[in-house]
Amino acid sequence: MSLVHLAWSYFRSRALLSMSAVAIALGVAVMFAVLAVINGFLAQVERTLRDFSGDLTVAALPERLAGRDELEDYLAALDGVDGVAAVEARLNHYGLIGRRGARAVDDPRTTDLSGMLLVGLDQLPAGMMRATEDPEAEAEPFPFAQVPAGGLLVGKVQAEKAGLAEGDLLEVISFRQGERGYPVPVRSSFRIEGVFTTGRYDLDIDRAIVGREDLAAMLGSQAGFSELGVMAAPGLAPELLVPRVVAALDEADLNPDAFPNRVTTWRKQGGNFLRAVENQKGILSTVFFFIVIVAAFQLVATLTLTVAEKKREIGVLGALGASPWRIVAFFVSLGLVVAVVGSGAGLLLGAWLTDNLEWVQDEILGERIFNAETYIFDQVPVAVDWASVGLLLAGTLAAALLFSFLPAWLAARLNIVDALRR
Amino acid sequence: MSDPAPSVLQADGLCKTYRMGGAVLEVLRGASLSLRSGEVVALRGSSGSGKSTLLHLLGLLDRTDAGEVAVQGRATSALGQAARARLRASTIGFVFQQFHLLPELSAIENVLVPRRLACGMSWFGQRGAERARAAELLATVGLADRAKHRPNQLSGGEQQRVAIARALISEPAALLADEPTGNLDHRTGEEVLDLLLELSQEKGAAVLLATHDRGIAGRCDRLLHLEDGRIEQE
Repeated sequence: MSLVHLAWSYFRSRALLSMSAVAIALGVAVMFAVLAVINGFLAQVERTLRDFSGDLTVAALPERLAGRDELEDYLAALDGVDGVAAVEARLNHYGLIGRRGARAVDDPRTTDLSGMLLVGLDQLPAGMMRATEDPEAEAEPFPFAQVPAGGLLVGKVQAEKAGLAEGDLLEVISFRQGERGYPVPVRSSFRIEGVFTTGRYDLDIDRAIVGREDLAAMLGSQAGFSELGVMAAPGLAPELLVPRVVAALDEADLNPDAFPNRVTTWRKQGGNFLRAVENQKGILSTVFFFIVIVAAFQLVATLTLTVAEKKREIGVLGALGASPWRIVAFFVSLGLVVAVVGSGAGLLLGAWLTDNLEWVQDEILGERIFNAETYIFDQVPVAVDWASVGLLLAGTLAAALLFSFLPAWLAARLNIVDALRR
Repeated sequence: MSDPAPSVLQADGLCKTYRMGGAVLEVLRGASLSLRSGEVVALRGSSGSGKSTLLHLLGLLDRTDAGEVAVQGRATSALGQAARARLRASTIGFVFQQFHLLPELSAIENVLVPRRLACGMSWFGQRGAERARAAELLATVGLADRAKHRPNQLSGGEQQRVAIARALISEPAALLADEPTGNLDHRTGEEVLDLLLELSQEKGAAVLLATHDRGIAGRCDRLLHLEDGRIEQE
């Protein structure tokens, strides 16, 4: 450890070594911020997926397969299943919305109509917040737990796009199954009871929330639900709950072979999108870690230069009793000191960047590189994954150790007498 | 008659040859000497006679082509680099003509370098005591108020005083000084020499002092002369 102290004294007096630390700091800071953004994105995607679909989704049997399709049968089948904390019915159906009385309803060639997934719920999803009219103000909870009868909630982005506001009457157009299977158009009016925000652009533009019974009445749906959301008991992985739910449905004769894979986890619902984000995380982590490696690699040049410049001092260390291995240890310690200082500064800078990402985009970059249309979130979500940060630090120190070794070995091979004569 | 003091450094038949291009330069041709505990010995010789080479061999900084160096009775030619370094750290101190202080470190940190190298992992346990000893040594050489100054903030005489303190902090059995006053003016050189002799006597270290200066040589217990690669006692 005494060599570390000696190396620290050297580090403080050599500007060149500080430059190496700065290079490492920049690499670590960027990697820290990138990891935090990707982790935040992933966590937010997962949260919104879970909020909307529950831990598990059980698709209702289509009428052609259902011998019976009453909601009570499903609820009875799932009642008492170990690990099921709650079950809620949902009715999802596609439709078009437009302002009541707008030309769009009469003339669908105009762009005043918007396609929506109409989501019929008994209870509002957890985490669904009411957008306020003041864009600077924080979103707040809705004053009701379920959409009032005849009411509808529209997403913030859609509301802005179509100029909708609380209190407006909306015309909703959809279809129901008619005789002999032909679709029959249906239309109904709803009053906008509020504007919701999930923070996710895609959900806030193409979802409309209505009361399940209202939607069922409009569609003439006898069953009144298209899927069930199942919440797992706290701490239980949804994947572990799937076989139990499937077994319960089998037992209640609600799981015919002709309609498999009806029970999916929220993760499976996220499907390719989640996997794409996870892949992106892996790719970006690798690419940015290479940047850190390159930053650490220039330790080879810096320390080799230091060895060349400091031959006489290396000779002095040898004359004062440093063995070749102690000289190796000294230069490796020097490399580690540079890496530790660089990594520490990088962590602080990365944490600052992560905290001030909006400001950096506006004031330094001059444009929003994370805009909601492409990034799907209106605020850049960040979440620091300390395990990843630990790996980053360990990787940086390991690289510094490796890259310090060559110059350290060159220093140890110097002939003491030749070095002293320089 | 009492027994003579034990030999700290013993050199027998040292030979050293340098090859530069096609030329062969025989610097030492069987040089022998013995340095006993507590004595101060001057080594004289013309420029290029091999005084520094002999000091390097005695200080285990270089290897002989032939002959043997024994440190406190222990033969060293078969020892590996690490063992020679340990022996050097524990028994031999160096004072160079060029001072050779580490420019990045303060005076007290320079004095502490040999202890840092010797202590290894135990450094933190004894750091306070080592620092106090270094401060005491700096006070002894008259530099108590210059402990935090770097070498470039010190005069030549002050730098050599720091180098003396550094050479003595490990309480070596032998001190090898290569023209220690060669880069100093006469008065400063005298002061530094006084200090070197006084402190080494106080610590009981044997001193081998390479010098051109007859006046300095006259103040030593013995005088050796290096000529044609061999040592003659005057």
